[in-house]
Order: sequence, then structure tokens, then C-alpha cells
Amino acid sequence: MRLSPISRAVAATALAAVLAACTNSTSTTSSSGSSSEPAAAGQTIKIGVDLPVSGADASIGIPTQNGVVLAVEEANKNGFAGGKFKLDTSLLDDAVQGKHDPAAGAQNVKTFIADSSVLAMVGPFNSNVAKSEIPLTNDAGLVQISPSNTNDGLTIGDDAKKLRTAHPDTNTYFRVCTRDSKQGLALAQVAAQRLGLKRVFIIDDNETYGKGLADVFDASFRQLGGTVLGHEHITANQQDFKALLTKAKADNPDGVFFGGNTSTGGGLVRRQMSDVGLGSVPYLGGDGISDPEFETVAGATANGSYMTVAAPDASKLPSAKQFIAAYQARFKSNVGPYSANAYTAAKIEIAAIEKAITDAGGKMPTRADVLKYVAATKDFDSPIGKVGFDANGDTTSPVLSLLEVKGGKPITIDVITLKS
Amino acid sequence: MNQLLRFVSLVAALVRTPRGRTALVCVVAIALPFVGRNDAFTNFLADAGAFVLLALGLNIVVGFAGLLDLGYAAFFAIGSYAFAMLASPQFGIHLPFWLLLFVASGIAGVFGILLGAPTLRLRGDYLAIVTLGFGEIVPQTFLNLSQWTGGPNGIGSLDQPSIGAYKFGFNALPYYFMVLGLIAFAVWVASNLRNSRLGRAWMAIREDELAAAHMGINTTTTKLAAFAMGASFSGLAGCAFASKLQLVSPDQFGFNVSVFILAMLVLGGMGNIPGVIVGSLILSALERFILPQGTNFLHGLGLNVDLTNSRFLIYGVILVMMMLFRPEGLIPSRQRKAELHAGEGDAGVAAQEQALYTEAVH
Amino acid sequence: MTLFVQQLINGLSLGGIYALIALGYTMVYGIIELINFAHGDVYTLGTFFSLAILTLLGVTGIVSGPMLIVVVAVAILGAMLLCGLTGVIIERLAYRRLRNAPKLAPLITAIGMSFILENLMQYWKGPSPIPFPQVIPNPSFAVGAVTVEAKQIMVILLAVVLMMVLQTFVRYSRLGKAMRATAQDKDAAQLMGIDINTTIALTFLIGSALAGAAGFVSGVYYGSTWFFNGFAAGLKAFTAAVLGGIGNIAGAMLGGFLIGLIEAMTTQFIGDQWSNVVVFSVLVLVLIFRPSGLLGESLPNKV
Repeated sequence: MRLSPISRAVAATALAAVLAACTNSTSTTSSSGSSSEPAAAGQTIKIGVDLPVSGADASIGIPTQNGVVLAVEEANKNGFAGGKFKLDTSLLDDAVQGKHDPAAGAQNVKTFIADSSVLAMVGPFNSNVAKSEIPLTNDAGLVQISPSNTNDGLTIGDDAKKLRTAHPDTNTYFRVCTRDSKQGLALAQVAAQRLGLKRVFIIDDNETYGKGLADVFDASFRQLGGTVLGHEHITANQQDFKALLTKAKADNPDGVFFGGNTSTGGGLVRRQMSDVGLGSVPYLGGDGISDPEFETVAGATANGSYMTVAAPDASKLPSAKQFIAAYQARFKSNVGPYSANAYTAAKIEIAAIEKAITDAGGKMPTRADVLKYVAATKDFDSPIGKVGFDANGDTTSPVLSLLEVKGGKPITIDVITLKS
Repeated sequence: MNQLLRFVSLVAALVRTPRGRTALVCVVAIALPFVGRNDAFTNFLADAGAFVLLALGLNIVVGFAGLLDLGYAAFFAIGSYAFAMLASPQFGIHLPFWLLLFVASGIAGVFGILLGAPTLRLRGDYLAIVTLGFGEIVPQTFLNLSQWTGGPNGIGSLDQPSIGAYKFGFNALPYYFMVLGLIAFAVWVASNLRNSRLGRAWMAIREDELAAAHMGINTTTTKLAAFAMGASFSGLAGCAFASKLQLVSPDQFGFNVSVFILAMLVLGGMGNIPGVIVGSLILSALERFILPQGTNFLHGLGLNVDLTNSRFLIYGVILVMMMLFRPEGLIPSRQRKAELHAGEGDAGVAAQEQALYTEAVH
Repeated sequence: MTLFVQQLINGLSLGGIYALIALGYTMVYGIIELINFAHGDVYTLGTFFSLAILTLLGVTGIVSGPMLIVVVAVAILGAMLLCGLTGVIIERLAYRRLRNAPKLAPLITAIGMSFILENLMQYWKGPSPIPFPQVIPNPSFAVGAVTVEAKQIMVILLAVVLMMVLQTFVRYSRLGKAMRATAQDKDAAQLMGIDINTTIALTFLIGSALAGAAGFVSGVYYGSTWFFNGFAAGLKAFTAAVLGGIGNIAGAMLGGFLIGLIEAMTTQFIGDQWSNVVVFSVLVLVLIFRPSGLLGESLPNKV
């Protein structure tokens, strides 16, 4: 029998719905499903991870996701919650066709919320995705820690209030990295005072993080008496920066600032600076270019670059060394700029979940308990130093390290204490 | 068992008549979120619904009038930004949502005319390239004009719709029913258009523009009407989508989105409304639900496979396989099938296809 | 003025790479009217292949003396050969069956192939940008106040030379004539005894090989590569092919150089963030006022 188009449409719709419902129900029921697994693993508790891990965003999303995976694996190895529960991750991708997408992020958060075994989440990576997610986690009381959002409006001011309309008094959103306004100001001080730069050319990647940081640097550097020769925004997926850098060179800058990540052009810009004769000019950037990938891409031209990291001197922190060694052993690749942040975010949540389990007398804790303990985090030891949260959800970590690339390696040359 | 049989025969009876089929689809659509009983699933349905609207709009342009549009996301962007600017703290303007449905689709339609007027005399592929260019220009322009559009941050805290005292809030269910209503409206408009004088003119142009012109059809205005119509549907989708997400930002409207919507048409069957709906539901399920959750899904089945790094591969393979083995789409329109398999009965279709391929291969 | 000339050189070098990619687009479109979206990824694959060859040869830095010629020749020819074969395989697997299908079907297939290639490259070299060894010594020459890098001369020269070789081949060789005949009328060409399948495969071989050459050149020129490079470069190169007049080899070259120039000049005089907007606006305007492109003959209505 040949079906008519419409009845086939009905059948196919039903099939699609059933498929979708199936995937969905698996994710919601897998906690009970995995209780039948061997070993006395008991019930499963999950940490939801929402990051962009495909397409153009893969280069930065995957190393970040790996940070969480490592934290969870270590927790299970070290007998999470006395072995009463098994810890797992729910890894969701918020990139649609290779680009981080706020609607996909919102969908993923809804999925976490619907899955009762998810007690906390790590993510998102991008600030605009955060804007679509914070109202939802706020509504549902699910705690989320972002490894990388730096946009001021997510935690402070009117913008932040508008994201918390469902429960204005509750905050479910935290982040382990420093806000743009703090980091940008610190970088401007480094440029004007420590390096004595007078004429700087600013380039940013026209994304939320990069442009936000560059805008703050721009304003602060002018305030400190410096001259901004130009402030240009590059285009996504651009490979050729020679015309832009030729333009910069014509203004004869004594420094170039880059707002953005290694993957959005930070390494390539530094590399091509030497092609146009700007190789000896200092290059400054934020934590977005403070990853081994930067030195890999820029090669020998990386020398003379300065960047900040929201942590005390990483080379002196045993937990940082340990983390980097464990990461490289597990994933056989370099640590990304936000791997340690994601690892720390997951560690904080794991600690909070363990405390909540103790409170609940060894039973499955509630999301509210976990949120309470995450919010109360203070002086938490991590690869990025001691971390704690203020009432807005911002990190109280008071220091930034200033790194300089010398001989192809980043070396901490100063530790800057921030005013809050 | 007896009851089941009775139910099956009732469904079978319904499927036999057009009205019955419509009723059945409506019942299924209304029942779906209650079957899912899960806000994440409903949320997915509501988002997928917005893409059904987009696919229906693009279907008018590509499927009915045969105008190849590779930059349809630009109109989606225009509709969404129009809504965002008129219903957010950005400029302090807060027009009522239900009015904005018309306003946003009107603005998108006007842009359809503005783009269409100078370019529609171009033939086939050139039009495709111009629209591709337009699709690149629009989101980049929204990104660059940051003093009005919020730049990379986009515009947030958009107004949520409400009916009387009932506020839609963060629950996906009311959005789903709103989108469902819009889809019903869009389907009604599209199917009436198809059978109207204008619709027949579109199809005449699609088949043979020269002949259509000789038959007295004003091809330029007819094509413009298709462009404007298609664009205005994306305005509806933009309102529904942006109000639920409460955010518009430039990276939601790239070339990949245009391709995504186009692939929905091709997959489902161009020119055929049920086909387009099915195609868009399947791709939405794949892109926003099944692939992102693929890893967890497989873990649930007991397979320890990590899919997150392979999304592009899976998606790519699906597109290629689909096109290779069923290029006319899952549910092709009757006309298109007739064109592809002229003079053949149903039984001969497979043979005809085989013959076409054999000819091509050797 | 100095600055203008300097940007002219930057634009031409970037344009040289676009031009090499555009040649492949224009040939494939000319013969089967397919916008081969996977072509940009074949270009990236060219960089990956040449990197693999250099690694095999143990080259990690600047090579000098006669060895330089050998290394460059092996890397570039190897990349061209491998990319050419990739192109042929893609055509055979993905496009050949669809030659008589509705027009959108092969287009979607091409997009699918592009996704597949990108993901395979991501598996191969990871998701992050990777460095490409600085093979060629790069002295700069000062002409007045303008400096020209050796790499820039290489890019422009190579693009022009390859274009001329291709032009000669298509115009005078037997196979070239078969290609032109097939592009004009497949059925008639077949009746004349031309093997259509071989001719189309050959077109893919040559077009993809040129993308391979472009891949090597861009690796050397920029010193790095990334699995996702082909997406943006492919879109621009396709624009270049249309701008010059699709199907026209000299036109693709002209279009490539023009797009490069427009990008460089937009960056200098308007702002880098507007470069895509300007490039695509120029494309739209050219198509409105001269739909056949700058060098294209007005085509008969094929649609």
C-alpha cells in the first residue's frame, strides 16, 4: 500500500516526536537506569555541562569541557561521597551548525532542569548564551558556574537584575573568572605604568568577551593619559590581518592590545605583526590568549607578549602543576585557556554536592542545598588560586597574574591585587 | 485489544478523508507536549515550531515560485531585531506583542521587497548568490551598528507575551501553543495562496518564466509578492522565537541558519506543505535535540561512545545520504513527482528513478 | 600614497590565494553548474596535506639552497595530487548520481560534504589552530618606503603562473576542448564522442589540485592553519569567481585579486569589521548591473 503524502507526514511527525521523546526520557530516567549497573555505585548524580563543542567553537569549547570531565573522573576515583553515589556528566553542545547559539543553550538548560539527577551545571561559555540561560536557572533554582563569561552585565547592575525576574532575591549564576571591567583596567595600568606605553593600537574580535575587554581597556588607557591610535574590530574566521596591521604600523604604535581569544585571532595577529614590521612592539591581551595554544600558533613571535590570568602565580601553585600534568596525561593535548576554570567550577560544585549529601544524611540532596553551598564558597583551593564568590556571583579572587612570554614560554612577572 | 483495534480503525478512517487527516494532525499536535510531559521537550517543540514557520515562508519563495534563496536568515534577523527594538528596554519602547506580530512581519516583508526589486530580474543561480551576499551583509551590519543593536551582546530582556492577566513567563507551553496557532495560520495562508491565481502564477514562473510572461503574467510583481510573503513569515517566526528566548544576537542568523532552513525544504520535499513541516521537524530534532544529546543518548543505551566531537560528521553524512538516495525529499509534492517521473504510474517510479541514475552513471 | 601601495600589495597577496581557490569554483560551476561548497575545505585540506608532507620530510624551519626547491616542489605537488584525488573521489561519491536531480539536491550534498571534510580534519589535527613551518626564507625588499615580503611575491607569481598554465591547457589541449564542449552542451558533447564522466572528473581533479596549491601557499604565507579556515575563504573565493564572471578562468583570477584588494582597502579606509559587508555589497551591485560578471559573456538563459 502506498500512503498518501499527508498520512506519511502524520506518520513521520509521530516518528520524530517519538524519537525526540525517547531521547528525552532516556536522559531523564538514566539515573534509575544506571542504578542497575554493576558495582555498588548507587544512584547517579550528574553535573550538566553546556558548552559549544562543534564547528568553529570546538577549538575553545572542547578543552574547556575536558576540564569538567577530568574533575568528575578524579572525584569518582577518589571515592565521591564515600561511594554512595556515582558522579557523572551530562555533556550538551550549545553550538548549532558550528556556532554557539543562545536558543540551543536555553534548550540544554531546560534539559538539565528536567533531569532530576542534574544537581548543578557548568557553563555556558559565551555571554550571550548566558543571557538566555540565567533566567531559566534562576526560575528553576539550578546552580550554574561559568568558566569564561566576563561580561559585566551578567552579575551587576540593571542588566543583571533583568535576568533574575523570576526570583529576584536568589542568585543561581556564578563565575570563576574576573569581570571585564577589572581585567581591562588592570591591563591598562600595566600598559601605561609598568610598560610605559604612550600610543596603543587596539584590536578586538567583535565578540562579547573580546570587545567588552577592549572597550574597558580603551577607556581606562585614555584615562591614564595614553593615546589610542585606533580601535578596530576584526571579522569572525578571518585569517589575514596584514592589511589591518599595516594600517596599525602606519600610526607607529608602541604597543598593540588584542581583545579576544587565541582561537578568534589572538595568535595569528601576533604572528603576522612580525611580517609587517611590528614584531618588536609589545603585545597585550587578557586571559583569552593565556593558553599554550598561543605560544604554539605564534611560535617565536610570541616573545614580548603580555597577558593576565585571574590567578596567583600558576607556576608556584602545586595544584596548577598537578592539574596541567593530569590534563595532559588524560587528553594528550594542551590545556586550553579556560580548562582550569572549568575544572575549578566543577570542583566547587562537586564539593558543594558532597556537603549537601552529608546534610541530607546520605540521601539525594536537593538543588537548593547545592546552591546554598556553592554560594557560600570561600577560599576554595584550585589551580587558579583561592576562589570564593560574592553576593552577585562574581569571584572574590583578589589577584591577577601578569605573564610575559620570554623564550617561547609565559613567565609570571607580577601579581596584581585588584580593588573590589 | 479490542479497544486498540477500534482505535486503529478510527485512525484509519480519519486518514482516508482530507478533513479527517487535518483533524488528526491537530489532535496529535495539541497532545504532543502532554505526551512528552517534560518542559525540555515542550521547549524543543516550541523552538522547532518557529523553524517550521521559517520553512513554510522559505517554501513560498523556493518551493512555490522556484526562486533560489540562500540568505533567508537575513529576513529572520530583520524580523527578530524589529521585534527586539520595539519591545525591550533598548530604546524604552514596549509595543504590545500581538501588534508586533504584524509590525515585525510587515517590516520583514518590506525588506523582502527592497531586496527583491532590483535583484529579481536576475536568473536562477545569480539570485541565489545575491541572496547569499545579503545573508552575509545583514547580520554583520547588526553586529557592527552596536550603538543601536547592542553589537555582539545583542538585545536582551525582551518583553514576554501575555493574554490579559496571563503572562507567558518561562514556561514553554504557552509559547508552543502560540507557535502552533501561527503555524496553523501560515499553513492556511500558504495553501490558499498556492491554489489562488497568484499561486498558479508562481508555479508557472517556476516551470517556465518565459512562457509565463507570454501568458500575460507580470513576472516581476509576481516574484516580488513571493519574496515579500516569504519574508513576512520570517517576521512571525522572529517574534515567536525572540520573545521566548528573550534575546536576539547577531550570531543567531548566519549563513549556516539559511542553509539549515533550506535543508529542511529539500529533506521534506520542496513545494509540499506537509513535506516541509516534516522536514523541518526532523532536522530540528536532529540539530537541537538528538545530536546535542547524542552522547548521553548512547550512554543511556549502554554504549560508551563520545559523539560531541562528531556532530558535523553525522549531520554531513545524513545530508549526503538523504540527497543521494531520495533527492526529491521525503514527501515530494504531487507536481514535482509528476515532473520527475512524467508518464509513469506509481509502480514505475522506482524503475524510472533507476533509469535516470543508470543513465547518469554510465 | 606609500600606505596605499603597501595595502595594494597586501590585497594582491590575499587575492592571489582567493584566485587560486576561485579557479576551482569557476571550473566546476562552469561545467556542472554546482556551487561546490566543499571546495573551500579542499583548500584547507591542501594546507593539512602539505603540512603532513613537510613533517614526513622532517622540515620544521627555513630550508635554504637547492634543497629548498626540492622541498617546495615535493610539498606543493604532493598537496596538489592528494587534493586532486580528494576532489575526484568527492565527485564520484557525492555528486555524480545527482547530475539530473533537482538543482538544490547537489547543493545540499555539497554542504554535507563540507561538514564531513571539516570534521575529518578536526579529527586529524585537533580543533585548535596549528602552526605551519616557515619553509621559505622571507627577506623583505624595500622599494622606496614600501616593503615587499618574498612570500608575497611568491603568492602572486604562483597564482598568475598557474592561471596561465590552466588557461593554455583549457584553450589548446584536447582534454581542455572536451571540457569546454561539455560545459556548453553535455548531450551534444556526448554525441561528439566526448566521455562526459571522465571530463567532469578531470575538471574536479584540476580544480581541487589548484585548491591544494592554494593550501600550501596559505600555510607558508600565514604560518598557521585551522580545520575551519575553508568556510570563510571558500565563500569569498566563490564570490570572486562570480565577480569575475563564472566559468571564466581569467575572470576568476581577476575576481580573486579584486576581492583581496577590496578587503585590504576596506580595512585601511573604512574599518576591518566592514570588510565582509563591503565585499558582499560589491558582489550584489555587480550582479545587479552586470549579471554575467566582469569578464563573463552574457550567458544564454540556462535556468
